[in-house]
Parts: sequence; C-alpha cells; structure tokens
Amino acid sequence: MRARNFVSVIAAVGAGVALVSGCGQGGASGSSGDSKVIKIGTLHPMTGSNAGDGAQLQHGAELAVKKINDAGGIKALGGAKLELDAGDTKGTPDTGQSEAQRLVSDGAVALVGSYQSAVSANIAAVAERNKVPFVMDISGDDAILSHGYRYSFRLQPQNSRFGATAAQYIKDITKSKGRPVTKIAYLHEATAFGTGVYTAFKSEAQKLGLAMGPEITYDAASVSDLTTQIAKVKASGANILVVSGYYRDGVLAAKAVQTVKPKLDAVIGAADGAFDQPQFPTDAGSAANGYFDVNYHLNDKSAEAKAFADLYQAAYHDKARASAGFAYDSVRIIAAALERAGSKDPGKIRDAIAKTDLNPLSLSNGPVTFDEKGENTAGLPVLTQIQDGAPSVVYPDNLAAKTIVYPAPVQ
Amino acid sequence: MTTTTAPPAPTPAPTRERAQSLKRSLLILVAIAAVAACAPFVLPESRQSIAIRVLIFAMMAIGWNLMSGYGGMFSFGHAAYFGIGAYTDTYLLVTFGWSPWLALVVGAALAALVAAGIGYVAFRYKLRSAYFALGTFAIAEMLRLLATNTKWVNGTTGYHVPLLPESSWTMLQFGANAAEYFYIGLAMVVVCMVVTLLYLRSRSGIYTVAIRDNEDAADALGISVMRVRLTTMALSAAITAAAGMFYAQYYTFVDPDTAFGSAQSVQAIAPAVIGGVATPWGPLVGALILGPLADLTVTWLRTPPAFLDFLTGRSGLDVVLYAILLIVIALVLPKGIVGSIQEWWKRR
Amino acid sequence: MTARTTSEEAVPSEGGTISRGGTSRRAALGRSPVTVTFALLIGLTVAALLRSGSTAITGQALLTGLIAGGVYSLLAMGLSLIFGVLDIVNFAHGAFLGVGLFVTYEVAHQTGLNPYIALPVAIVGLFVLGALIQLLLLNRTIGGSLERQLLITLGLSLLISNVLLLAFGGDPLSANLTSDPGVHVFGAVANLSRVIAFGAALVLAVLLYVLLERTSFGRAIRAVAASRQGAGLVGIDVRLVYVVTFGLGTACAGAAGMLIAPFTTITPTAGDQFNILAFVVVVMGGLGNVTGALVSGLIVGLVEQLGGVAIAGQSPLLGVFILFLLILLIRPQGIFGAKAP
Repeated sequence: MRARNFVSVIAAVGAGVALVSGCGQGGASGSSGDSKVIKIGTLHPMTGSNAGDGAQLQHGAELAVKKINDAGGIKALGGAKLELDAGDTKGTPDTGQSEAQRLVSDGAVALVGSYQSAVSANIAAVAERNKVPFVMDISGDDAILSHGYRYSFRLQPQNSRFGATAAQYIKDITKSKGRPVTKIAYLHEATAFGTGVYTAFKSEAQKLGLAMGPEITYDAASVSDLTTQIAKVKASGANILVVSGYYRDGVLAAKAVQTVKPKLDAVIGAADGAFDQPQFPTDAGSAANGYFDVNYHLNDKSAEAKAFADLYQAAYHDKARASAGFAYDSVRIIAAALERAGSKDPGKIRDAIAKTDLNPLSLSNGPVTFDEKGENTAGLPVLTQIQDGAPSVVYPDNLAAKTIVYPAPVQ
Repeated sequence: MTTTTAPPAPTPAPTRERAQSLKRSLLILVAIAAVAACAPFVLPESRQSIAIRVLIFAMMAIGWNLMSGYGGMFSFGHAAYFGIGAYTDTYLLVTFGWSPWLALVVGAALAALVAAGIGYVAFRYKLRSAYFALGTFAIAEMLRLLATNTKWVNGTTGYHVPLLPESSWTMLQFGANAAEYFYIGLAMVVVCMVVTLLYLRSRSGIYTVAIRDNEDAADALGISVMRVRLTTMALSAAITAAAGMFYAQYYTFVDPDTAFGSAQSVQAIAPAVIGGVATPWGPLVGALILGPLADLTVTWLRTPPAFLDFLTGRSGLDVVLYAILLIVIALVLPKGIVGSIQEWWKRR
Repeated sequence: MTARTTSEEAVPSEGGTISRGGTSRRAALGRSPVTVTFALLIGLTVAALLRSGSTAITGQALLTGLIAGGVYSLLAMGLSLIFGVLDIVNFAHGAFLGVGLFVTYEVAHQTGLNPYIALPVAIVGLFVLGALIQLLLLNRTIGGSLERQLLITLGLSLLISNVLLLAFGGDPLSANLTSDPGVHVFGAVANLSRVIAFGAALVLAVLLYVLLERTSFGRAIRAVAASRQGAGLVGIDVRLVYVVTFGLGTACAGAAGMLIAPFTTITPTAGDQFNILAFVVVVMGGLGNVTGALVSGLIVGLVEQLGGVAIAGQSPLLGVFILFLLILLIRPQGIFGAKAP
C-alpha cells in the first residue's frame, strides 16, 4: 500500500508542476514575438474593495492606447502598435508583485499602476530589479520614491505636497475673504496616507502661523459612524475642519457633520478621496454642498481633457475621474518616451521617460517633468468646491472655473 | 465540529517497522524534491513567482497541519507566527543589518515562544475547537492592530528590504526571478518536511496524535498533555515563522496587513484542507493546487467563452470561478485529495 | 430580560447566576459577569470623560455606540443561531449583509420609493438564499470538520462578493433617504436612519425571540440544538430545521443590511468589515444565545465608541478584542450564558 501511496503522491506532484506551467501557455501565447506590438503592463486593483477605482484607471489606460494606435502607433518604431497586458493586483502587495513579475517576464517594456501605495512600493522594487520603467498613475506615499529607485516615476503629486498646499490655500483664502482661521481641527484616517498628509499639513501650518486644534484619527477599514469624532470637532471650537480619508469614510464624515452641526466656516479635504468626486453629492446628499477639497483635478478648460471625458463617457457610460486622466497620461508618457528612444529597450525607455515633457490632462504647473527622485515637479493640487451638485475648481484664481464661496457653513 | 473524531490512540508500531516507514517517507520526499527541482527549467519565466508562492503556501500549511491536523488544535491565527517571522526578520535586517538567516533563528524562536505562551493560557483555561480557533484569530488580529499603530515598527508603512547591487547568499538576495529563490525555498520546504516527519515519529509526536485522539486516555497513561501540546505548537509556529521570513525576503516587503492579515491565516489552512488534513503529503499537494489556481482562472478567462460576452469589461469573474472551485473541492473531497486517495485505496 | 440559551440543556437563568461546574477561579471571576461588564463600561465612560474633558463628546460616544450596537446585535443574532444550532462558523455572514445592501439599492432604485420598503424583500430574499445554500451545499457537510466548513463559508463569501462585483461593478452606490434629519437625545444627536435601524433591530430581535421561544417550530430548533440525535428520534426533521435555521440566520443579515443601507456606502465588499465584530458579539453573548447576542451587540458598540475616545492612538477594535479574549478565557459560555461549554 505504501508503494502505491508513493506513486500517487509523485503523480500528484507531477500533475501539479504541469498545472503551474499550464498557466504559462495562455500568457506566453500572446504576441510578444511580434515586433510590431509593444506591450505595456498595467497593474490595478480589478477585484477587491478598490475595484471601482481600479476600473477607472484601467479604462483611462485603455483609452490612451486606443488613441495612440488610431493615430498610427509608435512612428519611430515603424508604426508599432501598443498593447495593454492587464494585471490584477487584487489590492494586495504580494499579488501586485507577482503580477508585475509576470508582465515583465512576458515582455512588457514598461509598467503603469497601481492606485494603492503599499502595492506600488512593491512594484517599484520589481521594476528596479528588472530594470523596467514603472510610471505610477495614482499612489501618494512619499516613501515609495525615498529608496533612490531609478526606474520609478510618479505622476500624481505626493502626499506631503497635498498637505503643504492645503495649508497654504487655507491661509490664502481665509485671509483674502476676511474670515481668518481661529483653529483648525484635523480628521484623518490612520494609515500612511492620512498620517502623511496630516504631518505635512501641520508643519506647513506652523510655518504659516495657523492655529491647530485636535488631531482626530479613525480606522478607515472598520469605521461605520463618525458622529463621535465630529462631536469632538464641535467641542474644540475650531472654525475649519480638514479631512484626509478615502471615499466611504468621506461620505460618513459629511453626513456626521450635517447631523452634529459644528460651527464651521468650511470643511476642506486634503487629498480627500470623496470631496472632489462627481458622485459625492449623490451619495452624501445636501451634506456635500460647499465642501472643499485640495486634490488633483482634470483641466476642464483644455480641449484634450474635454475630449477625453467625452470619450470616456461614450465608451464606459460613466464619468471619468481625475485619476483616469493620470492613467491616460501615464501611457502617453511611455508612448512619447518610445518615440524619443526609438527603441523597445526598457533602459532606453527609462532614460527617455526621465526627460519627459508632456502636457497632462490634469491641472498642472506646465508640462510634466520628473526630478531626480522621479517625482512630477509640475503636479499641482488645486482647490475644488461642491457647487450646484458638482465639484468645480475655485482656486488658484487663474485656473478657477467658478467663484469661491467662503465661508461655506454647514447646512 | 471538533476534529476529535478519529479512532482511539494508536499503539506505537514496533521500532523496526517505524524506521522503515520513515525511510520510505524520506524517499518519497527526495523523489518529490527531485521532480520539483526541475521546475525552473520547465516553467516559463513569467510563472516562476507562482512556484515560489507554492513553496510559501506549502511551508505555512506544513506548520498548520502539524498543530491543527496532527495536534487537533484548530488554529485560525497562524498569521500571528507568520507575521512574527516576517517582522523579526525585516526589523533586524533593516535596523541592525542582520543576515536574514540569523534573524530567522531569532524569529522562529520568538514565534515558538509566543505560541507556547498562547497555548499555555488557552489550555489552562480549556479553550477548545471553535473557541480556540476564534481565540487564535483574535490574537492575530490584535497583533495586526498593534503593528498598525506602533511607530517603532513603522506603523502602516512596514519595512522594505533595501535592494542590494548584487546577489548575496548571506543577505538572501538575488536578482528578480532568480532560480536561487526557488531552490532556497524548496530546500526550506524539504527541511520543514523532514523535521515534521521526524517529529511525528518521535515520542512527543506520537503523544501529540494520541492526545488529539483521546486526551483523557493519554492523560491517564501519564503523558504530560500540556508539555506535549506546547512543544507541538512551538514547532508549528517556528515552521510558519520560517515561511514568513522567506516571504519577506522574496517580496522584499512587509506591512501589518500582509504579515498579520487574516488572509495569511487562511493561506495556512486552505492548502492543508484541500490536500488532506493530518496527512503527511496533504500540505504539499494542496499548495500545488491552490498556488497556481488563482492565476489559472485568470488565464482561462482572459478570453472568456462566447456565452459570457455580456460580462465583457467587468471584473470579478476569475475570482468567482476560483471560489466555486474551492467550494467544489471542499464538498467533493471531504478528506482532501491525499486523504481521499488513501481512503479509496484502503477500500479497494 | 431573561437570558436564555438554546444549546444543550436549555436552562433559563438570570445572567448573574454562578456557572455550574466551573473551576473556582472561574466562579470567582464569573460570579457577577453582568456587574463586571457594567463596571467596565462605566470605567470606560469615566476614562472617556477624563480623556476628552467633555460631557458632550462622551454622551455622543454613548449614543453612537448604542445605536451602532443595535445593528451588530441583529447581525450577530443570526450568526449565533447558525453557530448554536448548526455548529457552523459562518464566515460568509458579512457577505449576506452585503447582499441585503444591494437588494435595498436595487429595490429603492427600481421603484424610486423609500428604501425601507425593501425590508420585507431583503428578509424574504435572504431567507430563501440562505435556505437554498443550506439545502444544496451545507447540508452535505453536516458533522464535517471545522476546517472544511470554514473553507466552504470563506469560499461562499468570496463568491458572493465577486458576483456582486460582476453584477454592479465596484463603484460605491447609495440608497439614501430623501431627508435624514438629526434626532437629539440628551444633547447627543444621531441620524433618523440610524435611530430607525436601532429600533427596527430591536423589534426584529424580539420577533426572533418569540419565534424561538413561543412557537412549536422554535421548540424544534432548540431541540435540534440541544441534541441532534434526540430531536431525530422524536420525529423532528433535522435537515429541514437546519435549512430553516440557516435561512433565519441569513435573513437577520439581510435585514441588518437593509437597515444600514441608508447610511452606508454600498460596495460589494461592504459587509466584510462586520464579520469579525459579529463573531466577537456571538461569543460574548454565549454560543447560540440569541438574547445574549442582542445585549452583547450593544456592549461591543459601546466599547468600540468609548474605547475610541478613551484610548487615543490605538484602534478602537483593540479594546473590543481584549474584551473578547478575556471573555473567551474567563467565561467561554458568554457573559449571559449559564452553562459551561
């Protein structure tokens, strides 16, 4: 009996090895051998709790590929067509990493991703070790680019930029509107994202002489009610509330503010995931009115961004978010680098990306340029406000689509 | 609900026969290792990371199987030991520049100590079956929350293993996708298996199974129930911690969710259950099935069949298929793959 | 309210009864678990008061905790029933709550009416779904090992949330009330929808209690929980009882999902966060003890909120888990259970 047992185990192991190699067939049977096709790997959370945002980013990248291919592909490479090889990170760092490795091994010349900072940090390491460029569309944690990686670039402004810019904007507006800050209460989720933005905000606020009130944290994954936290804000007597969180908790915060009614002149998000979203007024109802957010935003005045938004609406029956624009731009940056490098060699593409000079869809201080760490120096957080049921840019003045309403007391 | 439904305590086989069956098991292991060693040559490069995942799953499941399969102590919190291994390793490496091999010893010892402590309290208060499982789950979750909110282990950010300019055996770092990772992982799995096989044939191991099958009888025979159980738990935790260390080195990263998240506890259980609980080869076979399964479903569904066209552009189908397969395997093979094969063989 | 247990000996007793057959240590600590629990809550309240220095904040935490606890109670009652009667550690319970959310969204969206009309739909729909799952899947695993059931319910959870993802996409949806004003209670405030959820959860809890205690079918369920073989011998259709019990359990999750829908962002994974808390509540209340689950839900809600105010810098869940472990060790029959397991 033991001997048969032996045989069956060996057979099972053999079958298992065959199984593992079996999944190679589908991936390898792609078109990597075709010199007229250039593969770009995308890594977004297509399943799991961030699947909604993952879909937006993926769609943004798809639209860019379609546009570039329709315009004749990469001309420097004989009109080679771009092809997206889509990976699903499932929102976890280890899946993100193994997917990244798979895409690189399958011949992707560059990677785009990934929405979550923890996942991007892992992909950045993969990119560095494989010497394949990685362009981050969305991922804010400053630490990702603090390791001296050469192959990673980031399009969105990093978290500390949001914090510092938010403090600056609050100082400007409260001063110009003649209703200065008495005290700022800060509500943020407790992971690296919320804490990072808060830390940068606080140090800038101290420089600017803004009085800080209570720092209130919460666990975004488990929170189901923020009423107690907002009661703390009310008790503190602050006249400004700054919030850094994700979408779901942002809606909870807005509803809690409406219920508790603290005496606030404004609620301002610093990189908040809810307050600048088109569906925020639908989900939060009248509570959303007048909410500010310091965040990246599509350039509503540029014809290209408008065309992108229309195309997105037509293709996916949904409003494009600013994040989709970053994914779109990430692919364009890689395509432009391919044109300049005139080569599919990842090292040369990396060098070309480092010299990027491209007008983005999002509001920006001029064309995208990367500094030595790989940060986009032109990234510009702007101030949006919910007016008439939709977010609009209200500051800085030269980019504003609508006039700022401040104070914007809670209704 | 409890796992204490097995027949009464086995009488230890005569020494000579035991030595023979051990020899046979080791032979099987050598054969498996030999087959597996070909993997880097057979597998396409893009699938190497799946092979590594299989090895990590296997190590975790071997650890879990020892405590919960053979020991009958259902742990739903093996993420605790996995996380302790991963965190100790990266902490010592990043902060003091320790070699991961040295850190592994510390991490495994720490995990074993923690497991013994948990076990002592749990058995002292007679926690059993589902209660024991929920208790271990709560402890792993508490460690996750503590790591998340503790600044000196970097809070939610966790640790990144600094990338080295060149490969190093001392620092356990090689080029991305290097075959060294696979062979080191394979060697670790083999070591874990050998340790488990030897332990199960030792006095303590035989007592472990005896206590699982009939605690009162074992106690009446004068077996020190507490000491044997704690030894088993400690060994199981140490093996799982080794998996955590290897994980941290391969992925060059650890944070509270990846180290202590309940997903890791599930990943220790699932391969063992699929392969066959309390069978020596179950964890290996289960890991071989589960490791590639998620990627297989993605590959199969990359171009979905025509009748699913209405789902184009929507995500989630691959996970749906994965979940269905998981449920079906658990339903159809109540004793796992190896367990069911063994039973079928006996009945013939 | 009299605590009662549906498992084994089904001895009704006051919560303060000394447990029989416990060790002396257990008896000492367990002498008045209700008193100890209330002392702990009062201690937490005082700590919250000292820490925040504000009665308004503490009062708000008390009200918010109580109201959040009502939903935990309803969810946990269903889980406790499944756990107590079927011996299944059901990790798909949160996913069933997720289904309740989407049922509510779909009904409110299609009819354009107040989301509360979805309550009967959610209860009936989830009952049927749960009963079918028990009938087709889980009845085959009765008496199976803990790990196998765990794997199956985890698989179910994954299956349900990804079917929802396929059907509705990952973007957040909402089923808001047209007007959701604040309701003031002793200076603290809560949304009307939350107060309704709290009230409705209590009403449904009482209904479930009556069903279990005052109907012959409830008696059958309790008989099966006490002894499967015994119930079979006296002619009770055990499999049918299992099917109905699982259905009742998921119906509780569906009702909880509907009730929280007006103030929750609806996504396919929205139910997952409740899984762990629901288990904490179940163990605290005593395995299979539906009334215990009701009271424990409120306690967990209060500990979570007060702990969040009193222990700044750590996750409020940490306090909940510490309480959970203490109860597991010292009083595994639950605060309100009378029997030693």
